[in-house]
Amino acid sequence: MMNKALSLGMGALLCSSLFLAGCGDGGEEEIILRVANWEEYMDEGDWDETSAVEFSDGSVLCPENTLVEDFEDWFYETYGKKVRVEYSTFGTNEELYNQITIGDVYDLACPSEYMIMKMMTEHMLEPFSDEFHDRGTKENYYVNGVSPYIARVYDELSIEGESISKYAAGYMWGTLGIVYNPEEVTEEEASTWKLLTNEKFSRRITIKDSVRDAYFAGVSIYNYDTITEPAFLDQADYADEMFAKLNATDADTVNAVEDILSSIKRNVYSFETDSGKADMVTGKVIANQQWSGDAVYTIDQAEEDGVELCYSAPLESTNLWFDGWVMLKKGIEEDPEKKMAAEAFVNFLSMPENAVRNMDYIGYTSVISGGDSDKVLDYVNWCYEADPEEVPEEEMVEYDICYFFDREDAVITTSEDQTRRQLYAQYPPAEVMDRSVIMAYFNKEGNERINRMWTNVRCFDLRAWWEGLR
Amino acid sequence: MKYAFSRKQLAIPYAIFLVLFVILPLLVVIFYAFTDGEGHVSFHNFLAFFASSKTVGTLLYSIVIAVTTTLICLLIAYPTAYVLAKTNIRSGDALLLLFVLPMWINFTLRITALKEILTLLEGNLAMHPFLNTIVGMVYDFLPFMILPLYNALVKLDDSYMEAAQDLGASRRHVFLKVVLPLSVPGIVSGVTMVLLPAMTNYVVLDMVYNSTYIMGSLIGSYFSSYDWHNGSVISIILLIIIGVSTLLSNRYTQGEENGRVGNLR
Repeated sequence: MMNKALSLGMGALLCSSLFLAGCGDGGEEEIILRVANWEEYMDEGDWDETSAVEFSDGSVLCPENTLVEDFEDWFYETYGKKVRVEYSTFGTNEELYNQITIGDVYDLACPSEYMIMKMMTEHMLEPFSDEFHDRGTKENYYVNGVSPYIARVYDELSIEGESISKYAAGYMWGTLGIVYNPEEVTEEEASTWKLLTNEKFSRRITIKDSVRDAYFAGVSIYNYDTITEPAFLDQADYADEMFAKLNATDADTVNAVEDILSSIKRNVYSFETDSGKADMVTGKVIANQQWSGDAVYTIDQAEEDGVELCYSAPLESTNLWFDGWVMLKKGIEEDPEKKMAAEAFVNFLSMPENAVRNMDYIGYTSVISGGDSDKVLDYVNWCYEADPEEVPEEEMVEYDICYFFDREDAVITTSEDQTRRQLYAQYPPAEVMDRSVIMAYFNKEGNERINRMWTNVRCFDLRAWWEGLR
Repeated sequence: MKYAFSRKQLAIPYAIFLVLFVILPLLVVIFYAFTDGEGHVSFHNFLAFFASSKTVGTLLYSIVIAVTTTLICLLIAYPTAYVLAKTNIRSGDALLLLFVLPMWINFTLRITALKEILTLLEGNLAMHPFLNTIVGMVYDFLPFMILPLYNALVKLDDSYMEAAQDLGASRRHVFLKVVLPLSVPGIVSGVTMVLLPAMTNYVVLDMVYNSTYIMGSLIGSYFSSYDWHNGSVISIILLIIIGVSTLLSNRYTQGEENGRVGNLR
């Protein structure tokens, strides 16, 4: 109790936003929706004609306004009510959580899967309404458009007996992998997390400065022999076993991972937060651990500078992650109008053309496959379909992503290199997803153990230094 | 009725600021440092810090970085400040400007440029993390060392040196017995302005790709994993170091003022 009172007090002191939020409610019948999203994670409009997207039915997408402004207009046209979005951004899941605990109030936020699970265990979230899940309503773009593959992932991931699909609606998803320069690193070398400990590339690779991403790589290396064994791969409850192995936080696993990460620390160029993308392009590093969406961005940027980069989701295991929209109890406060507006916002973002807008702007992959609409698949074809006049026939391949779109014609005829590049990063093939694992929220004990392990890895190792001297 | 305005009231804005943003947060930090998750008073966090060879290692590593940075800054800044102070006034100001000018340019921008220069020189930055950290820190903090030294030296009356020379002191003796003791207050304030920030300035380490934590990064990492207790402990440890060194330096400078400088005046 004491703790909570203090943090609230500190929040009141330090956060001017509290005062601001208090002043905003003066106007007439206007619903105010406070949205917290990742930085640069929503289309801001103002496209020029050269970047316009053309769909197969001839329509062209070239928005002027931001998505938020378009939502406000759309909401008024559809429901006849005014809504005003107060949009703010955060940099990490932990930052969002800290903001909320010290008193910032949001109605709708977009944390990652493990943070959604943490918020669920702390009863911070408002469940989505039955109307939101009703497929019969045309405006319910989310349930009608979400990829059945992602919907299944949401249904199956649960904590304390509740499925997360009750509290969260998907936004973007992807994998954790390795961006590499094919001139320096072979596809085979980049196909495993062991690349990070490979002394051949000493001081030329970066890893993310994030305990969870680093832990995933470490725990994959630790379990490498087990999880690549045919007997393990062929067992009936493979998915559950794999999940348990890679989400283990027992002392033995954590200690072993600490040793692996310490040797990775000695071998890599650095633990980076944001410099990795630029350093790949300039050639300071030849491979780095990267989320798929950032990988697309990096590969795009490098292409403009005439450098060819590739992406690999390691063969032993990749981390399937996603960000989803959740409603916060403290913000919604059981106000039905507000809840309805929040759900409408999610539905608006899930309209196929808006999903395409976001994908084109931020480089990440939307959870929306489009349902009856062809627009998302159209967009993938528009991006990656090989032009027969430019690409010789022997370099053309059929790239199958039917698992995501849940339709048999989701096969892209593309150039062979795209199976290692942007297309592969945005929509990994089904066999990659079969080996993917969600990194769940760890319990308190496991979390403490992992954080202590991380501090140990990052602190100055007196003992190793002393042994090095002698 | 006329409103009576007293000069004391001018201090009110800062007093409010002080209470809201210095004293209250400090109390919160102290509260978190000495309690565990359940609100009980506990010294466990402190003991755990000093029991782990890793966190103590980082404390020592930070101290080594800070001391090395300070010494190098002092070695570079002292002759510079001396020359600046002893050239004729006009060009001295212009020269000083040259040394302080870098502070007008955004730090991140400067360190990014430094990073590129170091990469050109070394090839791969990751090979010399300690060296690069020191270079970055010295680059960042040098103006903070030059300014107080310059201020102390520019006030130094040439007649003291002339008098010493007249009385037969060699140039070495003039420096060691007159100039150096008189500039001690400048040295002390320069050292305080460099030593302690250098223990926590982890931006430099991030920018030059040194992946080892110093005290500042440790605080950041604890707070971002909601471990407010351990984060506060590190802050308190730094606070104690800062407090002790300020106390020592104050005693030293005050002694100087009252003793030697007072007599000379």
